[in-house]
Amino acid sequence: MTQPPFDGAEMAVLRSRLDGVVRKMSNTLLRTGRSGVINRARDFSCCLLTRDGDLLTAADSLPIHVLSGPDLMARSMASFHRDLRPGDAFLHNSPYHGCSHPADLSVLVPVFDDAGRHRFTMLAKAHQADIGNSQPTTYMAEARDIYHEGALIFPAVQIQRGGRDIDDIIRMCEMRIRVPHQWRGDYLSTVGAARIGEKALAELAQDIGWDRLEAFAAQWFDYSEARMAETIAALPDGVVTGESTHDPFPGLPTDGLTIRSTTHVDPVAMRVTVDLTDNADCLPCGMNLSEACARTAAMIGVFNSIDHRVPKNAGAFRRIDVRLREGCIAGIPVHPFSCSAATTNIADRVANSVQTALASLSDAIGMAEVGAVIAPSAGVVSGIDPRTGEAFVNQMFLAMSGGAANPAGDAWWTIGHVGNAGLCCIDGVELTELSQPLVVHRRGFVADTEGAGTFTGAPSTIVDFGPVGGPVEIGYLSDGHVNPPIGVRGGGAGGRADQQLIDRTGVASPLPACAQVSVADGERVIAVSCGGGGYGSARLRAADHVADAVRDGLLSTGRARDVYGVVIDDDGAIQTEETDRLRETMR
Amino acid sequence: MRLATDTGGTFTDLIVEEDDGTITLHKASTVPSDPVAGVIDALRVAATARGMALEPFLRSADTFVHGTTHAINAIITGRTARTALIVTRGHRDMLLLREGGRSEPFNHTLAYPKPYVPRALTFEAQERMYADGTVAHALDEPALIATLGQIARAGVEAVAVTLLWATLHPRHELRIGELIERHLPGVPYSLSHQVNPTLREFRRASSTAIDASLKPLMTRYLAGLSGRLADSGFAGRVMVVTSAGGMVDAQEVAASPIRIINSGPSMAPVAGRHYAAREGDWPTAIVADTGGTTYDISLVSDGRIPMTRDLWIGEPWTGELAGYPSVDVKSVGAGGGSIARVDAAGLLHVGPESAGSTPGPVCYARGGTRPTVTDACLTLGYLDPDYFLGGAMVLDAAAARTAIERMIAAPLGISIERAAWSIVALATENMVQAIEDLTLTQGIDPTRALLIGGGGAAGLNSVFIARRLGCRDLLIPETGAAMSAAGAMLSDVTSELSTTLHASTARFDRAAVNRSIAQLRRQAATFAVRTGHEPEIELIGEARYVGQGWDIDVPLPVAEFASDADVAEFRSAFDAMHRQLFAIVDERSEVELIGLRARARCRVRPGTPFLLADDRAEPEPPKSRTVYFDDAGHLDTPVLAWSSIPADTVFPGPALIESPFTTVVVDPQARFRRSTAGALLIETRA
Repeated sequence: MTQPPFDGAEMAVLRSRLDGVVRKMSNTLLRTGRSGVINRARDFSCCLLTRDGDLLTAADSLPIHVLSGPDLMARSMASFHRDLRPGDAFLHNSPYHGCSHPADLSVLVPVFDDAGRHRFTMLAKAHQADIGNSQPTTYMAEARDIYHEGALIFPAVQIQRGGRDIDDIIRMCEMRIRVPHQWRGDYLSTVGAARIGEKALAELAQDIGWDRLEAFAAQWFDYSEARMAETIAALPDGVVTGESTHDPFPGLPTDGLTIRSTTHVDPVAMRVTVDLTDNADCLPCGMNLSEACARTAAMIGVFNSIDHRVPKNAGAFRRIDVRLREGCIAGIPVHPFSCSAATTNIADRVANSVQTALASLSDAIGMAEVGAVIAPSAGVVSGIDPRTGEAFVNQMFLAMSGGAANPAGDAWWTIGHVGNAGLCCIDGVELTELSQPLVVHRRGFVADTEGAGTFTGAPSTIVDFGPVGGPVEIGYLSDGHVNPPIGVRGGGAGGRADQQLIDRTGVASPLPACAQVSVADGERVIAVSCGGGGYGSARLRAADHVADAVRDGLLSTGRARDVYGVVIDDDGAIQTEETDRLRETMR
Repeated sequence: MRLATDTGGTFTDLIVEEDDGTITLHKASTVPSDPVAGVIDALRVAATARGMALEPFLRSADTFVHGTTHAINAIITGRTARTALIVTRGHRDMLLLREGGRSEPFNHTLAYPKPYVPRALTFEAQERMYADGTVAHALDEPALIATLGQIARAGVEAVAVTLLWATLHPRHELRIGELIERHLPGVPYSLSHQVNPTLREFRRASSTAIDASLKPLMTRYLAGLSGRLADSGFAGRVMVVTSAGGMVDAQEVAASPIRIINSGPSMAPVAGRHYAAREGDWPTAIVADTGGTTYDISLVSDGRIPMTRDLWIGEPWTGELAGYPSVDVKSVGAGGGSIARVDAAGLLHVGPESAGSTPGPVCYARGGTRPTVTDACLTLGYLDPDYFLGGAMVLDAAAARTAIERMIAAPLGISIERAAWSIVALATENMVQAIEDLTLTQGIDPTRALLIGGGGAAGLNSVFIARRLGCRDLLIPETGAAMSAAGAMLSDVTSELSTTLHASTARFDRAAVNRSIAQLRRQAATFAVRTGHEPEIELIGEARYVGQGWDIDVPLPVAEFASDADVAEFRSAFDAMHRQLFAIVDERSEVELIGLRARARCRVRPGTPFLLADDRAEPEPPKSRTVYFDDAGHLDTPVLAWSSIPADTVFPGPALIESPFTTVVVDPQARFRRSTAGALLIETRA
C-alpha cells in the first residue's frame, strides 16, 4: 500500500489545486454575504483541514482567524461527535473550544469518501454583524463574564443533518440575534461556502484519489516544515523579551496592561519558541484571549518578521512552540471569563511584542508596531433607521490604517490591525450613507502622524461623521491613545488614536477610549485611528521620499527638517547641502 | 472591403475581409514607439500580398476597425496627461484610501499603491449633497474659481471631477464643468456622473480620473491614426473597439476614452462567440488568448459575453481599479516566456517571472539562461527548431535541453523529458486555476463548455488545459493566431447606456422603473439614428437581495413591467441567475433593482460568411517527429500542415499540426478533424 512520493512538480500542481478549492469558498462568501462586515469589508476566512484537524491551506484568509483555531475547532467537533456522517455541518463559535471569539461564527463540514470515511474538514468563518450580546456590539470590552456578554455560544453544535438545516437551531438564533433576517442571509452564504468547498474537494479527489490526497497533505507538511526550518536556520540566535502596553480600559488595570513575550530563536535546532506565560491572569472583562487567538497572535508576530514565502500550514507550525498558561489573559481562558474582543486588542499587543522584539535581533527581520484598534470609525453602529423605521446593526469600516514599517520597506497603509493584515476592505461613503442613517463629513489621512524612520509607518486616519434624522449607537474600543504604535531600530512612533464628540453648537468634548455611546441627530464623532511605527533611523530615509510627502501635504517642512533632517524650500526642492549638514549633526 | 487590426505587444495583426466575405490574415512587427507605423506596415504586407500598392489598396476599403492597447499602456507606463482631481470637501483622500483590501497577508515587500492622481493635485470643492438631494452646502463658486486658478498654475492638462452623490444629483458637477470651460478654456475635463454612474465613489473617481488623463493622449493618437490612414488613401470610417466588446467611431472616443481601455482583449470573446456558434451551436465557451507573457481568458455564457466592474489595470490590489464596465477578461502572467525554477526545498515553480522576448527563452540564444515554458515545449518535441514562426527564427534545442537538465531535472531527480513535461503541466495548471476563478465568478461549469484556443502559443498546451478542465471539445479557429483582430471585424457598433434607480420587489414602483426603461430606449434610439442602423436593445438589471453589497447582472425577461406578473418573472430570473452564480437562493428575501443598463447593438457587417481564403495546399510528403507525452513516453508523431488536412475527416492523435503562425499539439488520447470552414476541432475524450 505504500505510495510513491510526489515529485516537486506534482506537489506544485496539487498545492495550486487545493488553494483553488479554498478560493472558491471565499468567492462565494464575499459575493453572497448579507451584512456589510462580510460583503463590503471581507471580514471572513475559509480553510481546509485534514481529518485530524491539521491546517492544510487557508489561501488569503485573515491571519488572526486561521493560523490556529480551525485546528482546535475541528478537533472539538470530532471529540463531541464520534459518529460524523456525510451531510453533517456544525456551528462553532466557542472561544473555550477553539474559536477566535464568539462573533466569528464558523461552519465546519466534514468531507467523506464514497465509503463513508471522514477524510478532510472544510471550515468557513465569518465575523457576524451581531451575535446576540447583551449590547449591540460584537466586541464587548466591559463584559464581566460570558453571562454579561450574552453571546449565543455554539461549541460545535450540529446545524445540518443530511445536508438539511436543523431548524431548531436556526429559530434559536433568529430569536436572539439582532436583525435576524440579515443573520440568516449570512448563515446561508457561510454554509453555502463550506458546501462549495466540499464539492470542489470531492471533485479533486475523484481525479487524484483520497489516499493520494492524504499522502500529499503529509508530504506538503514536510515540505513546509523544511522551508520553515531553513528560514529559521538563517536567523540570528537569541532570546528576546518584548513588551507592548494596552491602554487603560474598563476591567483592565488603571495604568493599562503590559503584555510580555519571550521569544527564543534557535537556528541550530531550527525552532522558534514564544513564551506568553508571564502575563496577567484572566480579568473580568471581554478582553481575554481565546486559546486560538493567543496562539495565532504569537505566530503572526513570528511570520511578520521572517521570509513571507514560507507556506503557512501545520507543517511550518511544527517549528514554532507557543507556550501558554491556563487562566492567563494571553493564554487559555477559563469559562466564564469573556473573550468578546479576543481577535483585536490584547491579541494585537501579543503580536506586536513578538515582532518588535525580533527586530532587535537584526536589521533584516522583525517589524515595528502595527497600530491598535478599534476606533469609532470601525465601530459597530446600530439603531432604528428613520428612513424606513427598521432596525439595523453592522460593523462599519470607514477608515483604518495602522501599517508598520519593516526591513523590506514602508508600511502598507490600510492594514487595519496586526491580526487583519489589510485584507479587510473599506466602506465607501455613499454606500455607508445609503445603508445607515449617517453622514461622513470628512475622512482622510492626518499629516505628520506617520511613524518616522528609514522606512515609514502609516499615518493616522481621521473620520468626522454623525447621524441624520435620529440617534445612532456606536460601540468601539479604541486602544493606542496612551500607547501609540512604537517604532523599532531607531524608528519613531505612529500617530495616536483619539475620539471626540462634537455637539450641535460645535463644541468638542473627549470621548472615553472604550464605550457604547449614543449620538444624537446633528452631533458628530471625530475618530482618529492609530498610525504605524517606523523602522530604522529617520535620518537615513531617502530625501526624495521625504520631499514627496511634503509636496503631497502629508508631511510639514518643519517635521521634515526636525525629524528627518531634510531641508525643503518653499518650492518643495531639497536643499542638498543644508540637508547633508543637518543630517551629519543628527548622528 | 473591410480592415481590422489589433496592436499587440509583439505583433500587429491585420484581417482583411473582401466583399464576398473571404478573409486573409497578415502580421507585422509592432513598433512600440509608434504603433500606427506597425498598422501601416501590416496594411502594406496585405497590399503586397495582393500585388497592389498601399494607396489603391486602402482606397478600396470602406471600414477600418482598430483594437489598441495604447490607452492601457499609457496608464501602466505613466505617460498620461498631468491630471487634477476635484472632490467634495473633506474627501481629498478618496483615491488614496481606495477600498482597502490586499492579497498575501504576510508579504510586506509590496509598496502601498500611489493614488492615480497625486494628493498634491487633488483639490476640494466647498460643497456637499446628501443622498436624498438635500444641498447641505451650496457650491462655493468664488472658492472654486480660485482653485481653478491654482490648477492652471500647476500646469495641469486635464481635470476630473467626482462629487459625492453626483450620480443621483449632478447639479454641482455640471456647474463645475461650466466653470472649468470658462476659466480653463480648452482643458479637457470629465464629470463622474457622466463617465461612470455608480454608487461607489472610489470607483467612480478612479474611472473619471483615468478618463480625463487619457483625453489629450487618445485625441492625438486617434487623430494621428485617422490622418495617416487618410494620407495613405483611406477614405472610409475609422472605428475603435471598446472594453465592452463593441465598436465606436474614432471621433467619439476622444470624448470618453475610458470606453476603450480594454480594447483588444475584449474582442477575443466576440470572435469566440462567432466560432462557437458556427462550429456547433455551443452556447457556452471559454476563450483563451495566449501571448508571450500573458494569458487572457474570457467567456461566452448562453451566447452572452459577461461583463465586470472589477477590471484592474495591473495586479489586483496594487494596480488601478478602473471601476468601469468591461468584458470580463482575466489576465495572468503566464506564457511561453514564464521561467521555471526549483526552490531550495525541492518544489517546482513556473512564473510569475518571465523572460519576455528579451532575453527570452534559452533557445532564442539571446542571452536567456533560465529555462522557460517554450524551452520545455522544444525539448518535448512540440516545436520544430527549424520551423519556428514559419521558419522566421532558428531555435537552439541543445541549449534548452541543457538548461532544463541542469536547473530542473537534476534538482528534482527526474529525467529531462519528465522535467520538461512537468514545466508544461505546471504552466497548464496555473492557466487552469485562472480559468476556474473566472468560470466560478460567472457561474459556468467548464465541463459543459467549449474551450477555444487563440493566440500563437495556444496550440501547445490547450489539449492539456481542456482535459484538466473536463472540457470534451477544443476548438482552434483558423484565425486563432489573430483572434482579437477577428473579433474586431465581427463586432457590432454598440453603445452602453446606464442609469441608477431603486426598486424593491416589496414595493415595486412599476411606473418609475418603466420611465427609466423608456429613457434608456430613447437614448438608444438616438444612438441608432447616429449610426444609421437598426439597433438591437438588450436591457440588463443590476439587482441583489436586500442588504447584499454586490449586485449581479440579470437580463430583463420583460420589455417593461406592465403587471405584477412581470415583476414576478423578473424575480425568478434573478433567483435563477443567483443560483447559477452562487448555488443558493433566498426565497424569503426581497430583491432590489438598483441599476439598469441598456446595450444597443447595430450590426454593420453584412451577413457574409467570414471564411479564410482557400489556401488548400497540395498534400506534402508525410513528415514525423519524436515527441514526448506524459503517459506514453516518446512517440513517433505525424506532423501535418494545417492547410493540407482534408476537411471533415477524423484523425487519431498523436499529431502535430503546423501553420506559419502556430503549432497545435494533439496527444495520443485525443482525436481531431478540420471543419469545412477550416477550424481545428479536437475531441479530448476527457
